[in-house]
Amino acid sequence: MSDNNALLKVQNLKKHFPIAGGFFGRIVGAVRAVDGISFDIARGETLGMVGESGCGKSTAGRAILQLHKPTSGRVFFEGKDLTLSSSEEIRQLRPKMQMIFQDPYATLNPRHSVAKIVGEPLVIHGMMKMGSRELKDRVAELLDLVGMDPVYMRRFPHEFSGGQRQRIGIARAFSLNPDFIVCDEPISALDVSIQAQVVNLMQDLQEQLGVAYLFIAHDMSMVKHISHRIVVMYLGKVMELTERNTLFDNPLHPYTQSLNSAVPIPLPRLERQRKRFILKGDPPSPANPPSGCVFHTRCPLTEERCITAEPEFREIHPGHFVACHLADERGSSKLL
Amino acid sequence: MSKILEVKNLVTKFYTLDGVVNAVNGVSFDLEEGETLAIVGESGSGKSVTMMSLLGLIPMPPGKIESGEVIFYGHQDLLQLTPAELRDVRGGQIGFVFQDPISTLNPILTIGEQISETLTRHKGMSKEQAREHTLKLLAQVGIPDPELRYKAYPFQFSGGMRQRVVIAIAIACNPQIIIADEPTTALDVTVQAQIVELFKQLRETLDVSVIWITHDLGVVAGIADRALVMYGGRPAEIAPVDDLYERPQHPYTLGLLGALPRLDDKEAKRLVSIKGTPPDLLIPLQHCPFAWRCEYAYDRCWQEIPPLITVGEAHQVSCFYDLKQGGPRDV
Repeated sequence: MSDNNALLKVQNLKKHFPIAGGFFGRIVGAVRAVDGISFDIARGETLGMVGESGCGKSTAGRAILQLHKPTSGRVFFEGKDLTLSSSEEIRQLRPKMQMIFQDPYATLNPRHSVAKIVGEPLVIHGMMKMGSRELKDRVAELLDLVGMDPVYMRRFPHEFSGGQRQRIGIARAFSLNPDFIVCDEPISALDVSIQAQVVNLMQDLQEQLGVAYLFIAHDMSMVKHISHRIVVMYLGKVMELTERNTLFDNPLHPYTQSLNSAVPIPLPRLERQRKRFILKGDPPSPANPPSGCVFHTRCPLTEERCITAEPEFREIHPGHFVACHLADERGSSKLL
Repeated sequence: MSKILEVKNLVTKFYTLDGVVNAVNGVSFDLEEGETLAIVGESGSGKSVTMMSLLGLIPMPPGKIESGEVIFYGHQDLLQLTPAELRDVRGGQIGFVFQDPISTLNPILTIGEQISETLTRHKGMSKEQAREHTLKLLAQVGIPDPELRYKAYPFQFSGGMRQRVVIAIAIACNPQIIIADEPTTALDVTVQAQIVELFKQLRETLDVSVIWITHDLGVVAGIADRALVMYGGRPAEIAPVDDLYERPQHPYTLGLLGALPRLDDKEAKRLVSIKGTPPDLLIPLQHCPFAWRCEYAYDRCWQEIPPLITVGEAHQVSCFYDLKQGGPRDV
């Protein structure tokens, strides 16, 4: 799926946040939240992005949409380089790239009615007039699309449960018929039974409307469920990128293998017998990342070269990219 | 095996300005010696309030334990103890681990002092003895360089390490029961696996019973012997884990399991979603709390609260519909 007509192309994207310190608040360092990531997303595809807290996955999503100005690197959307575009040019492209946020409580204005929340993007982009019949019809249509009764459009966010609020957030993201949506942990704040409702809805909408998702989450099982391909991040870098089943059947990076092994499978008989590899320690701070391969401090296979040289992010099999010195056809990077 | 804890018909309510919140509406369960029991439920299912009621940690007012008995170790009813007596039990015979280790630990005391305090308070150890024992505990929960770490403050520890400290406090006085309330929810998945592994080891070496409260059916699969699924402040189903996962008898359990994607699934099947939202606890319970969301509900489900019905060995379910036979249950 990775060819030249990709919808979105990310090349060596970096986002560093300065650390101010000392008496005059001088810049004394940088948090390397996203430190050189590359991938692309095809039309209608779901690319999953997983990693533990602090790996830079949310920052990556925001940097792609230019909500954070990237430190360096390039982001092409339909062939146009967003990092070189003016804010007006980006504004013109906004209807095509939208975002769904994690916290359905913080992202809806409590003083706006559902009709205003869902309809506002259409008004801002000058497609419809506030208060028009046309806008009301479109909002009703959108609410219907996300499985909510259009009569709710006069209500306010506090009258809804978490799952319903997330539906409102999804309706808003879809109001401008986007081609691409960054979904930043859209289901983490929801209960299990509600998560399934929202995930099913997102899949249905993709099927109907052909939108592409960057689905950011820390829940491996859910990412695997919804994605076509998956990017594994650790400390601001991409460790592995491949097709969903390959990532679980033949993971090459030791970090991916240990992540897979740490995720419980909800079947006791299987879970008790599973051979698992448990990683030691915690992820290091992105303000002071380790030398060479950023994973070397926790990796059981670390060699001399892992400490001194940063591994190249290379294609081992067609479409299967890994950033590990040891990864090869013979399985030298396998843990178990 | 003998029972170490017996909870009978616990009812806890909160009297708030919005009305009476019916948080726990009659929960009964036993805990066997050496057993790990998981209490599983979504937010508002009453799982945490149940635990806090047993330990006398419900703020009163607005909370009130309306009825129930909690028999610990065959003699004491915990609900009848005075606050001072309860304090001896808490942290002594019953240890606990909460979800968020940063708010559990005191930020201005060293972690060594916090663990030693439990020992001097409950075991009457001298400061020196407590220090010796604390160093052993730190090693036991997998904290490297105990001598050095004794003098560290909580902010110097990562989330996983802090949770290890909280576990060290919980096991300090050789408790008979450890109650863990979502102990891994705030942690990353690789750290979660470390903590689960630590619990498994400790359970072997200390011969302790564990109540593990969680919303995550995945974690439960690896650690629990039995699981109690709660819904709307009531037990929905209780069974040994193999039975529960492979032969769920309550439509809610069935739905929950279907809503979970599995890492070992080859094909992405469509997830089963349970329609609707969890019940409003302000409405007093007059029928099955799951009836609104249940696709099998029939008239009886709207008239009575289903009692726990035994359907197999150690397997009980509170449902009037027989999933196996595909029709109303004959009780």
